Amino acid sequence: MQSNKTKRSKSINLSSMRKSFSVKPLALGVAAIFLSACGDEQEATVFTSVDECTNANPEFAEKCKTAYEEAVREAERTGPKYNTQSDCESEFGNNQCRVVQNDSGSFFMPFMAGYMLSNIMSPRGYYSQPMFTSYSRYSPYRNRWIGADGYDFGDQRSRNMRVSEKALKPKPTVTKTMSRGGFGSSVRAKSSWGSSSKKGGWGG
Amino acid sequence: MLRISIPERANWKRKAEEFGFKFHTMHGEAYWDESAYYQFSLEQIEKDLEAPTEDIHQMCLEVVDKVANSQELLEKFQIPELFWQQIADSWQNQDPSLYSRLDFAYHGKGPAKLYENNADTPTSLYESGFWQWLWLEEQVNAGKIAKQADQFNSLQEKLVHRLAAIAKHYDISQMHFACCQDTDEDRGTVQYLQDCAKESGLDNDFVFIEDIGLADCGSFSDLHDTKIQTLFKLYPWEFMQREEFGQSIKNAQVNWLEPIWKSILSNKALMPMLWKLFPNHPNLLPAYFEDELAKATESKLVKKPLFSREGANISVIENGKTVLHADGPYGEEGFIYQAYYPLPQFGNNHTLIGSWLVNDQAAGISLREDSSPITQDMSRYLPHIIL
Repeated sequence: MQSNKTKRSKSINLSSMRKSFSVKPLALGVAAIFLSACGDEQEATVFTSVDECTNANPEFAEKCKTAYEEAVREAERTGPKYNTQSDCESEFGNNQCRVVQNDSGSFFMPFMAGYMLSNIMSPRGYYSQPMFTSYSRYSPYRNRWIGADGYDFGDQRSRNMRVSEKALKPKPTVTKTMSRGGFGSSVRAKSSWGSSSKKGGWGG
Repeated sequence: MLRISIPERANWKRKAEEFGFKFHTMHGEAYWDESAYYQFSLEQIEKDLEAPTEDIHQMCLEVVDKVANSQELLEKFQIPELFWQQIADSWQNQDPSLYSRLDFAYHGKGPAKLYENNADTPTSLYESGFWQWLWLEEQVNAGKIAKQADQFNSLQEKLVHRLAAIAKHYDISQMHFACCQDTDEDRGTVQYLQDCAKESGLDNDFVFIEDIGLADCGSFSDLHDTKIQTLFKLYPWEFMQREEFGQSIKNAQVNWLEPIWKSILSNKALMPMLWKLFPNHPNLLPAYFEDELAKATESKLVKKPLFSREGANISVIENGKTVLHADGPYGEEGFIYQAYYPLPQFGNNHTLIGSWLVNDQAAGISLREDSSPITQDMSRYLPHIIL
């Protein structure tokens, strides 16, 4: 019954097992783009400058510029923020971070590496969001397009992608929640028994 | 089966930080312990652990089949009547399961004896599937462990495949994941499954058990008011069934992981049922319901609550007297009795083997050590190799 096959997982992608923003950023962004529902996926393009966008869409030069400006504001509002330069640089690479000052204090944030633009031709409006990437060889984000919330949009070399609506907009609200907290009471009851030496998980 | 000391990797705590393994030390005590490892032969693994694990799983499914269709047994298993039909339906539909962990006492020879089946909410998954895998990889690369050393641990690979298969079964591209608040260990376990789900191409969302909402349409919802369609819950069925939202489970139409038929397996009543259906099976210990205690011929028995976790409320009884007892909040639903069978000792350590299943395939082992013969939730986790 003995086999010569190895009995362990053949390979594990270590970089995907590293935790996003392994040094916890102080704030994590939320995807802040709204999109009208029309089909499952949207064509989206990442541009690294306004010029690049304008060259690709000469008739929409104005939109390219406004979308860029919106993405910059969005990057500042929702991008990852760190307490120290070294925390930020260990995730995004040397000289890839800058100081940002806002109401809550000063932080280190990665530079915006580009902006994603979708539906530029739609009369109902376009959608943009900031893109980040990492130059750190210790980061799972190395050479990837990363949204403000840490979402991985794929290899940095590819500029055109089909993005699920879900990645671009808040989850559809399909329900009206009437009440919460109807699960979890057993834990409160059993925990009140627990001594401080218990670690308190409810698995086995 | 040997216990071998080895120097710890110098940088492992920094690595743990990097990979988000936050619960390696809990309440000031080591949980992950790499100052030693266990070594097995391939024959010990394949013959004594892998094969019995898959056999016992099939035997457990026979128990489910029997209990799901018997009111008398469902009552004996202390499953609330409201869920009998849901359990029968879920079993009838063959709702897919993800994983389980069988706990064995194994002395390196002879048959491993089954202590219990953690079929609903097993933890120590991340430590097993990923962290001990990485430990071996690095110790081999550092020349500290022989190159040809292997490990019984295909957990991560199998979990990724299984999640993809379950997604296909339900025709879904997204899953919700949940555990309770304020526990790094459970959150870490669930995050690991989210990582595996991502690897298998699924979108994943997280919600705390306490934050789950009930919507006007009868669905459960997350904090964004999104409908919960498929939910992996690291939270026991026997709790959910007794809580306020328990009565809403049926209408919420969730694809549950684990499926609700697993209520039958995560229940210690499984042990006397297995003994009834497969008496004298080499991997089983004699076990009795409370009302059949007179049949027990053993002088030393272990008394276990029908529902309990991590060794809580377990007593050892010798000739009718309690000789060892672990405290805990469980036991109101009754107890079962199992023949006393000691764990092997390595020095002062009592060692328990957890044997993993992904669906019906044996997928690896984990080892826990405790200074007490009843392993509890502060038992240390040690890696293992096959050589």
